[in-house]
Amino acid sequence: MLHYDFMQRAFCAGGIIALIASALGVYLMLRRQALMADMLSHVSLAGVAAGIYLHIDPTLTGFIAAVAGAVAVEYVRRAYKTYSEMSVAIIMVGGLSTAVILMSLARATNKSFTSYLFGSVVAVNRTELLLMGAVALVGGAFFYFMRRPLYQMTFDEETAKTNGLPVKWISLGFSVITGMIVAASIPIVGVLLVSSLIVLPAALAIRIAPSFAAALVISMGIGLAGVFSGLAASYQLSTPPGGTIAFVLLVLLVAGIGIRKATYKIRKLL
Amino acid sequence: MRMVSLRNVNFGYGDVPCLEQANVDIFFGEFVTISGQNGAAKTTMLKLMLGLLKPWSGTVELARRNAGGGKLAIGYVPQQIAAFNGAFPSTVTEFVRSGRHARGSWLRRLDQEDRRMTEDAIRQVGMWEFRHRKIGELSGGQKQKVCIARALAQEADLLVLDEPTTGMDQESRLGFYRLLQAQVKDYGRTVVMVTHNLTEMAEYLDRCITLERKEDGGWKCCTTTSCSGHFAPVG
Repeated sequence: MLHYDFMQRAFCAGGIIALIASALGVYLMLRRQALMADMLSHVSLAGVAAGIYLHIDPTLTGFIAAVAGAVAVEYVRRAYKTYSEMSVAIIMVGGLSTAVILMSLARATNKSFTSYLFGSVVAVNRTELLLMGAVALVGGAFFYFMRRPLYQMTFDEETAKTNGLPVKWISLGFSVITGMIVAASIPIVGVLLVSSLIVLPAALAIRIAPSFAAALVISMGIGLAGVFSGLAASYQLSTPPGGTIAFVLLVLLVAGIGIRKATYKIRKLL
Repeated sequence: MRMVSLRNVNFGYGDVPCLEQANVDIFFGEFVTISGQNGAAKTTMLKLMLGLLKPWSGTVELARRNAGGGKLAIGYVPQQIAAFNGAFPSTVTEFVRSGRHARGSWLRRLDQEDRRMTEDAIRQVGMWEFRHRKIGELSGGQKQKVCIARALAQEADLLVLDEPTTGMDQESRLGFYRLLQAQVKDYGRTVVMVTHNLTEMAEYLDRCITLERKEDGGWKCCTTTSCSGHFAPVG
């Protein structure tokens, strides 16, 4: 399977995104922003539709829309401090309604949205691969250099503020990075399943990891395993890669939780 | 030398005022408590001191430098911190060590001294045997101790604690008051703490600030008192 050029690119793109998206997932989950990935993917869809309608590269417009959505959510989140999840609902409605209108207008151009909705990792082109590489580099650098401030902020923003951290700016930077990673992940699993890459590995890692550092490593490992095995299964079974990857990640999560519970019960019996 | 100074501070939530004409000074090397009934704006006052809330009017000044001329380090333990996300996948050691990150550059490599201070802080709050446990698996009182250990590991010049003894048994509480007193007496740190256990900890304190309801309505006024029971209204 790896002698095909498109499969090499698919594994390369999938691997890059699996690593960065699953690390992001740990922070998103712990900041109680798990739905942010879903929300930004819908905003990104509006950008894609706008790109198709205006005859601009949809990947670029989708990317810009996701980043703009991330900045917007940060501002709305501050306006609704007590109900910060409301910002997700507000921006999601804005993104999705714009997407529906623009998609309807863009239908006249006879372009299909299927690959954006469900992903087509095997059709990833060189430009998209380069974009993913760049996003992974920027995201990786952000998570590495900001790992300690992010840890403090993830635990408690007020304590982080009293420690002299520019919480507002780091939080904005985090949102922008989230938008970039979501936009870069869309070619892999599509708008509708993008949160699977971000949330599912982190959901299992947080349950089983013995420490915070381990949670990040485990999440990246699960993400990588899920994407690679999903791609291989998709090739063997001739199933859509995006859906197969998301399904494999879900199976890994259920199996992981099941094994953990069983191990706990066995230990108790012994 | 003043560590914190509130001058004619007014603050409220929405249109409802909760702190009126508050005047408070806290000096370097003092052990001060803030007490008052529920809803008396104790936490609000702490947050105003730390700059987490902006007053409607009046001025709040917090020292920028410590007694040695270095940047002032603040160790803050919020009230609800023990109710943190139970799934937070961090060990006690990892969490307490994060107090050391705030010292110096956030990118510096932690050294032997950092490790020693982390271990000391965990021992001081009696959590050494739990050092490898995940914090989400601890009881409320234990979580509180771990949060305090993080503030101690930070070697903060100003320790600000909002009802830190919630969930602790009496023996732990008394040990904790002694620990805080030692921080003030032996290391010259300043401690500001919100508490409901004023009687229990009176012997360890330098001063207490009491927030009381005014007779003419729902407004609160601020009075300071020495712990011998000498009231001196300043609001």
